[in-house]
Amino acid sequence: MSTLILEGLSKNYGEVEALIGVDLNVGDGEFIVLVGPSGCGKSTLLRCIAGLEKQSAGDIRIDDRSITGVQTRDRNVAMVFQSYALFPHLTVAENIAFGLRIRRTDKSVIEERVAHAAGLLGLGELTGRYPRELSGGQRQRVAMGRAIVRDPVLFLFDEPLSNLDAKLRVQMRTEMKALRQRLGITSIYVTHDQDEAMTLADRIVVMNNGRIEQIGTPMELYDAPVNLFVAGFMGSPPMNFIELHRKGGNSGAQLETASGQPVPLPERGLSPGVRSVVLGVRPEGLRIDDGGPLKGTVEVVEPKGSETQVFVRLDDLHLLCVTAGKRATFQPGDPVGIAFDATESHLFDTDSGQKITTEKGTAA
Amino acid sequence: MDDRYVILVGRWVVLTLGVFWSAFPIFMVVSSSFKTHLDIFAVPPKFIFQPTFDNYVLLFREWPQFLDGLVNSMIITVGATVLTAITSLLAGYAYSRFHSRLLTLSAFFMILVRMLPPIVVTIPLFPAVNAMGLSDTHAILILLYAAFFVSLATWILKTFIDQIPRELEEAAEVEGSSVWQRLVRVVLPLSVHGMVAACVFVVVFAWNEYVFALIFTSNEAKTAPLILAEISGAIEGVQWGILFAAASVQLLPILAFVLLVQKFIVTGITAGAVKG
Repeated sequence: MSTLILEGLSKNYGEVEALIGVDLNVGDGEFIVLVGPSGCGKSTLLRCIAGLEKQSAGDIRIDDRSITGVQTRDRNVAMVFQSYALFPHLTVAENIAFGLRIRRTDKSVIEERVAHAAGLLGLGELTGRYPRELSGGQRQRVAMGRAIVRDPVLFLFDEPLSNLDAKLRVQMRTEMKALRQRLGITSIYVTHDQDEAMTLADRIVVMNNGRIEQIGTPMELYDAPVNLFVAGFMGSPPMNFIELHRKGGNSGAQLETASGQPVPLPERGLSPGVRSVVLGVRPEGLRIDDGGPLKGTVEVVEPKGSETQVFVRLDDLHLLCVTAGKRATFQPGDPVGIAFDATESHLFDTDSGQKITTEKGTAA
Repeated sequence: MDDRYVILVGRWVVLTLGVFWSAFPIFMVVSSSFKTHLDIFAVPPKFIFQPTFDNYVLLFREWPQFLDGLVNSMIITVGATVLTAITSLLAGYAYSRFHSRLLTLSAFFMILVRMLPPIVVTIPLFPAVNAMGLSDTHAILILLYAAFFVSLATWILKTFIDQIPRELEEAAEVEGSSVWQRLVRVVLPLSVHGMVAACVFVVVFAWNEYVFALIFTSNEAKTAPLILAEISGAIEGVQWGILFAAASVQLLPILAFVLLVQKFIVTGITAGAVKG
């Protein structure tokens, strides 16, 4: 059980800045998920913590002790790789015991710990097999076993579920959550799958272009994204964005879409200088209502079983996703109206992408 | 006729011809070693005959130095192979995992030297070898043979090590291993097949090599091929039966070695290292 502090962590590859001044405090036993698009720096951050990459600037502290100059092998962290990185010439038991053998742990202790880890992960019958004789899910479990058997101070996961098929991924996600609840070890988990992030994390760190965009609990990020990037990244299907232009003064119904449809947002009180904004509403925040202020045409209907996603063409620029009931009977080509609750919407600055804090509080 | 059938038959014909082409001379040498002098030169050749071990008895009675030559060949071959394997593994690892201008330059130099005829590089060494007291020792041939093959073996091993995912080493590093532990516990077992492939070249060369053995040995470290040459050039005339028996004995370890290691060469033991 440990705490982790990152202070002003930067990493450059020549001219390329992979990490730019990353600050992060991870509490004891906390499960942090790093999310972001490919190349955003999340794996680089993980590798810096592991010591597999040297940071260009900044400090990494575990339990308030700097590990910046400490070699990877002496950091006592465990890492689960995307490819599992199992040793193909060693059996499951030998793979799990690898770190203990390196540390010359007593043989009886190794056997006891390997048996415990294998039992915990449901690998008891497979300890004599080689990685090539295992399924993807079993290999993933072996990689987990190798990580937990040593009692490390920190777990690092680098997209550990991304090589599994969709069904197995969901199953392993549940198993992983149960395991982390049992073990309670401080963990940093990298993924580009925001579903995984939402279900596993105590807190999520959203990264983009080497910077942290926002840190918060899954619901904080979902409900109160600080900018367009976070708003668009978190949630599946993603938040709908509608660019609005200001007409007239600074009161209620002055905002309208590019095609001239007025959008009433009476409580906003936008500052007078703002001429255009981006309205963000999640699919479940929109509803199909003939009396709604936005008018469009149904383009695609996707039944999902528990709900139906209806894609409505507002104008050339905007195709909105609306979550409707599971027995929704819309057909492509149907003219529909769309309504939304202003309290579930967000306004973002068109230029900076930042959430607009209005005179009467935040836009949401 | 079905094209697949034609291809199958064609393949078998080519394979049979290939095997016959390679194996027939060996068959003739080995079978002749069990023939009497008259049977060896019988026209047409005798494929069914009364075998005799006289040639082998005569070989070890009249040429006891051949046994010493075999022992010397064995020591030199094993020594050169082990030395090549160790140095090539280390060099192959360095070339595979580290990159710098100096390394590129050294790789270029290594290949350049290998391009030159070995005799050109080696003859000038003679005075130095003498001065160091290495002449007619096992050590000089071990060093020479290893030096000839270290470049080829290094590139074979570099290619194999390139195929070992770096993540395996990183996983081992995170698990607490030093660079040497990673080399011994991860890289070495996973490049065994590459090492065996490289060693086949060294073993075959070192076991059969004649010219450098002739130049650098005279008595103590004389290898089996030199004794074979002496048998074939004996003043009292060539004793063909003895020569064939000696050639057969010389063949035996190489055949055994190739049969022993063939499974290592064909087995891809990195299967299952990564996803899939």
